[in-house]
Formats: sequence, C-alpha cells, structure tokens
Amino acid sequence: MAALSATEIRARRRRRIDWREQLTGYLFIFPAFFLVAFFGIFPIGYAFYMSLRRWRVVDRGFVGLANYEKAIGDWMGGLLFVVGLLLIIGAYYVWVLAFESQNNRGLAGKATVALILLGSGVFINLGWSRMMAAGDPAFLESLPITLYYAVGSVPVQLAIALVLAYILFQKIRGQEFFRMIFFLPYITPVIATALVFRTIFSPRPTSLANRFLEIVGIEAQRWLFEPKPVLQLIFGDTLLGWKLQGFWAGPSLALVSIILFGIWTYVGYNTVIFLAGLGNIPSTLYEAAEIDGANQWQLFRYITVPLLSPVTFYLSLVGFIGTFKAFNHIYVLQVPSAQNTVQTTSVAIFNTFFKASQFGYATAEAMLLFAIILFLTFVQTKIFGERVFYG
Amino acid sequence: MFHKRTWLFALLIITALLLAACPAAQPAAQTGGESAAEAPAQEAAAPAQEGAGEATAEVDWENVDPSGQTVTFWYQHTQEREEALQQIIADFNETNEWGITVVGEYQGGYGDIFNKMLNVLNTSEAPNLVVAYQNQAATYQLANGLIDMNPLVNSPKWGLSEEEQADFFPGFFNSDIFPSFGNQRLGFPPNRSMEVMYYNLDWLQELGFDGPPQTPEEFKEAACRAVEQPFSKGVGDAPSMGYQLSVDASRFASWTFAFGGDIFDYENNRFTYDSEAAQAAMTFLQGLFNEGCATLVAEQYGDQTDFGNGRLLFTVGSSSGLPFYRSVVDEGAQFNWSVGPLPHTTPDPVMNIYGASVSIPRTTHEQELAAWLFVKYYTSPEVQATWAKASNYFPVRQSVAESMADYFEAEPAYKAAFDLLPYGVSEPPVPGYDFVRDMIEQKMAAIMDGADVAATLAEANEEANAILAEQMEGLQQ
Repeated sequence: MAALSATEIRARRRRRIDWREQLTGYLFIFPAFFLVAFFGIFPIGYAFYMSLRRWRVVDRGFVGLANYEKAIGDWMGGLLFVVGLLLIIGAYYVWVLAFESQNNRGLAGKATVALILLGSGVFINLGWSRMMAAGDPAFLESLPITLYYAVGSVPVQLAIALVLAYILFQKIRGQEFFRMIFFLPYITPVIATALVFRTIFSPRPTSLANRFLEIVGIEAQRWLFEPKPVLQLIFGDTLLGWKLQGFWAGPSLALVSIILFGIWTYVGYNTVIFLAGLGNIPSTLYEAAEIDGANQWQLFRYITVPLLSPVTFYLSLVGFIGTFKAFNHIYVLQVPSAQNTVQTTSVAIFNTFFKASQFGYATAEAMLLFAIILFLTFVQTKIFGERVFYG
Repeated sequence: MFHKRTWLFALLIITALLLAACPAAQPAAQTGGESAAEAPAQEAAAPAQEGAGEATAEVDWENVDPSGQTVTFWYQHTQEREEALQQIIADFNETNEWGITVVGEYQGGYGDIFNKMLNVLNTSEAPNLVVAYQNQAATYQLANGLIDMNPLVNSPKWGLSEEEQADFFPGFFNSDIFPSFGNQRLGFPPNRSMEVMYYNLDWLQELGFDGPPQTPEEFKEAACRAVEQPFSKGVGDAPSMGYQLSVDASRFASWTFAFGGDIFDYENNRFTYDSEAAQAAMTFLQGLFNEGCATLVAEQYGDQTDFGNGRLLFTVGSSSGLPFYRSVVDEGAQFNWSVGPLPHTTPDPVMNIYGASVSIPRTTHEQELAAWLFVKYYTSPEVQATWAKASNYFPVRQSVAESMADYFEAEPAYKAAFDLLPYGVSEPPVPGYDFVRDMIEQKMAAIMDGADVAATLAEANEEANAILAEQMEGLQQ
C-alpha cells in the first residue's frame, strides 16, 4: 500500500475532526430535538393518523379521507375554493407588477387583475356554496366566524398597542406603573377575567356596558346574548340598497363583545413588545429628522412605523395564529342565546371531540384548521413579509 | 407600512367578492342544506338494539369471590359532600365481611372524570367504580367499557331482593337501564335531583293568589301580574320580573314533560323534540317572552339572586340548589318561599329527575363484584339517609323517608320536593346527548327570540336524530 502524502493525512484528520464536531453538535441538539419531536411533531403525526380513522371512543378502523370529506362536504367545492384563494395571490403579484410598469401595459395589467379577482370571487363563492351544501355546517360556519374574530382582533390590538407604546416611550411619569397596568390583563387568568366580562357585557339594563351606552344616549344592548350581526343592528336590514345578510352582515354583537375581550387581553402584551422595538430605533434618526423640521406625526409616520415593521410583522403573524387557535375565553363567554354565532373553529373541534366523542373526525377538523393557519401564515409571510423594513 | 396600492388591492378584493357573491350563494346553500339535513334523520329511525347484545359474556357471579379486593372509586364531590362520602367509605371498609377496601378519589368535575375515563377505558388504569351521567355511561359503553349490572342486581347471592328493588323510586331505579344497549344496566343511582319551580309565596299572596300556580294559564297570569306589581319587600334595583328562563336542555325537557309529552321515543329510539307537547310548551314560553312576562337568565345563577332579592316571582331549577336559595332569601328580601311542580297540563305532575349514577368499568370479576357490594351498601336505607342529609340530594329509596322526619321538619322546601319524587321521569340515556343539549339550547334561545316554533323544533329534531344516528352507528359496528 502506497504511503499517504502529508496533504492526504491532513485532509483525513480534518474530516475526522469535522465528523467529531458534527457528532458533538448532534449530541448537543439531541435533547431539544427529542423534546420537540416527541411533544411537538409526534402529536401532529398521530393526530393525522387519527384523522384517517373512524375513531369514536375506540379505534374502528381506517377510513381514508372520509373524515375530511365529511367536514368539507365536496372535494370539487374545496378545490374551487382553494383555486379562488390562489387566484387572489396571483392577482396580487400581477397588481404589483402593473404598478411597477410605467407604460400602457400597466393599465392592461390592472384590468387583468380586476378580472382575475372577479374570477376568484366566483370560484370562492361557488366552492363555498358547494361545500356548505354537502359539508358539516358546524365546522364550515365556524370558519368565517374565526376569520371575523381574527380580523376584528389583531389589527385593532396592534393599532392600540402601537399608540400606547409610543406614548409610554415618551418621558412620562409613572412609565413603569403604566406598563405594568397594561400588561396585567395578559397575565391575569383568562377564565377569571372572562367571567368578569360576562357580567360587564350582560344584557341587563344595569350592566356596566349598558350603563355606558345610556350615558352616551344609546339604548341598552344584549351584548353576549345578541346573535344579530352588528351591521344589521346599526343600519337595519339594508345599507345603501344592499341587503345585509350572511357573511356581509358582519359578526354578531356577541362575537364583537368577545373580540373586545381579546383586544383588552392582548393589547398590553403587544405594547410591551412594541416598547422593546422602540428602544432599538436609534435616537439619532429622530434628532436628524427634527433638525430637518419634521413634526411629531411625521416622526411617527416616517421613522417609528417603518422601523417597527419587523415587530409589527411578528406580532401580526403570532396574533393571527393565536386568534385562529383561540379557545378558552370564547368557550367561557359563549352563551346559547348567541346561537352559534360565536362558535369559532377551535370551539367546534372541542365539541366534536369531547361532546360528540368523534375523535377521528375532530382531528380531521383540527388538521384542516392547521392547514388553514399554515396557508395564512405563508400568505402573510410572502405578502407582508416583503414589506418589512429591516433598516 | 402599507403602500397605497395595497389598500387599493384590498378594496378591489372586497368589491370582487361582493359582486361574485350576489347571484349564487343563497339558493345553493338553502337547497343543499335541506337535503343534507334530511338524510341523517332517516337513518336515525332505525332502532339500535341489534348491536347491543355483544356486551357481556355470562359470568357466574355466584362463584366469584370478592374477598380482599381493593376498589378505586372516582367521584366529583367536594367539601361537605366529600367528607360525608369518605365517612361512608370508611364505615364500609371497617364493617364489610369480605375485607374489601374502597379507596375514594376526587378526580375533578363530571367533565374532568369523563375526559379521564375516555383515556383509561379498558386499561388497568381504569377505576373500579366511577360517577357518570347516563349519556357518559352510554359513551363508555360504545367502547364496551362498562359491565351490565343487571346480573349483579338480580343475583340471589349478591343482589337485591324483589322487596328491596321495589323500595327504590321507580323513576330512579329505571333511569340507568339503556334501551339503546339492549336494556343493559350501565349504572346504579346513589342519589338524584329534580327540576322544581321555586316560588315567592308572599308575593303570590300580594298578587291575589292563594298558592303556587297549578296550570300554565295560572302561571302566566301570576308572572305577568308580577311585572306590573313589584313585591313590597323587594330589594335592589333590578326590574320586577315574573319568570326568568335559563336556556337549558333540561328545562326544555321539564316543560315538555309538564305539557304531557316527552323528548324521546324509547320504542323507536328517536328524539321527539318536535312533538305536540314540546311545541305547546315552547309556544307557551315564547308567549311569556312576547308579553314581557319572562326574561332570560342573564348571568350564571342570576335568577337565584333576583329571586332572593324579591325581584323574581318564579324560577325553575334543580332541587340541589335549595340551600343556595335559602341563603339568598335569608340575605335578601326574607320572605316565605317554597318549591313545587312546574305548572302542568297533565292530571298529575311529571317531574324531570336527574343526577349522576355510579358505573362499574370492566376490570376483574372479583373487583367488579367488590365494587357492586359497595354500591349496594351505599344505597342501603340507613346509608342513604345519612348521604341525603349531608348532600342535600334526594335518597333513592322510599323507606328512607321514615328516618328523615327531623330533616323534613327543618327543611320544608326539601320535603315539598321529596313528595314529588313518585312523579319522576328522566331524560334519555343516549350517547351524544351532551352534543344534542348544546344544539337544543341554541334552538330554545332562538325560539325565545321569536323564531317560528314548529319549524325550529322540526329542525332541532332532525339534527338531534342525526347526532344520535352517528353515535349509534359506532355501536352497530
């Protein structure tokens, strides 16, 4: 056997050291990997396994995608719906390109976008109608309710939190005290605070919420007991000749009451995160802008808001995921009088699992919710993530 | 962060969706909805007895020896009730001739126990005795997780004599027989409660009535008069109210019973939420709301508070709430009150009785027998008297009344309710009833909001039977 050259010997030694380093690295991450795999990945995999089986208290065998079909009702409907959503994403990119274009093609692009969006609307609507006709209404109806809950909560939470954080970031007295006060709702047990909200938003004329309405000259409301959509309550059955019904009539007042609770709970948390973000903005930027004559609004609009966009993006992402999974306070605040108008998907899944004891079907619903959250996260990351300004 | 074009894009999406939504959505959803709802209801019509026979192989109980066994008992009782139960257990452990040891364990509320049970059914982790509502027991039995107690109850050596069996209130004794599982006995009742009408006697007299209303018409008249004429001793700023309805499936059942019907057809194993009696009951209640004589219970136990403050003339609730009502009246408007049957259209009252029983999960035959022997002790007249006084539940045996004279004297409202026990009937012991209860509560709320009674109940009945059919499908497999 020919003797190895010095270079080869060095290379072999390096490979051995590399291998040892790799092994050491793997050994270090193994505990964390084991925990994540065992408590994170395995349950998801097992849930998926359950979702393919007829599992009612006991496992009664493989049923393939039957549980999924039961939830969405009609595969073609589901497909049309997804195509509709994908068309919206496609339209968004055409729209961006059209704006970037300075010639006539830009106008044509915008017109195309309008057509694509109209098409997506038709697809979504057609798909939804087909699913509603054959699917599980409890599950399907819970999806727009969850969407209302998320859209009604997260942007408002973020807006209020941003303003509060900005105010608290100024040199004001008792800053720490106010930070603590705003953070309190987040750390107080949600069941306890939800029960207090139940009393505040009780339909009694003497409830705190109704007393407040009385002061501003509005008649008492049924709040958590009110299944009517808010737009109907405000405008009646029609608005500008448009009949308010279904999804377009908005969330019920009961759901709005729950949204208010959600906002109240999470504003403090968001404020604290925003405050941390504000601390990372270099003060020199503000000083330079002030020297250039920028007023307070301009400082906020052109320095604070853009430089906080990574935080805003993170909070909105986490917020949307959280609202889609929200359960505890909704479960506590729901009353039969709200008539299903507050049953979000998490609550629907819980009922299927624990009340109807349909474990397989409930996990199929949960996997669908998981897919929806994944899709929304992807869309948020792609569309809004691109707009984040990292400085 | 958002560019102008993003907002424009969002606006365009909404406009497009709105335009697209115009023509198709409504009719398609309606048509599909009807046909989709119809199918499962038809499936539900098939009686389910066929699948029930497989449950138990014959056991020669007479030759099973329970000596020296340890029995784990999962219950939900706390505070005074738990103390009393632990004392009963200690007495049994000390006195039983077989050397059986019962270990009582608090395992959370009914829901907690149910969730835990689903995980341990048919495993060595399962307790030997467990508190369970009938619908929970039915769910356990979908997995063949409980024993049929009939052979033990009727066993010449270990069971109850005919005379002893006759001593049980019939409504209680039969409430754990499951027609949907081939008439197996999946539980045994150690106590029960009952839905009763609480009324303010002093206020009724101020309104010109001698006593509590016996018919729905009298009830309505008194409730409506109470709204106009507040109670002289009333305290607080709540408006004067005739009746506060808690939207609840048991209340639905109680009112339907009072109108001479039932919510379940036991022969055909179907819900009957759309029966004439149910329609009449809901129409009656809706009428009370329409005329402003009734309101909904707005907060948990809000009706108790209003009743105690002399602001509410009638409320309907569980007899197990008697001590709480006494307490709120004593701390509130301090008036004479009592309980009675719901106003009824039937010659005799029909009372809704409920309460969790104890079930025996499948373990070894020796442990199963040992668990039964404790149940037998637990439901013996002397122990029942002690348990009823400590828990404020009703005893399940008629002969217990003799040893409760002192208690009846101290608690006249309890005695009034006790006298109604012979008229008791139960809600259906079927799997999935929790799910049905949620649904019916929403329908009930819709009716009180003004929804069409017949149509809403027809829809509710279809949904309830669809849920039942799905549950029974599991059993038939």
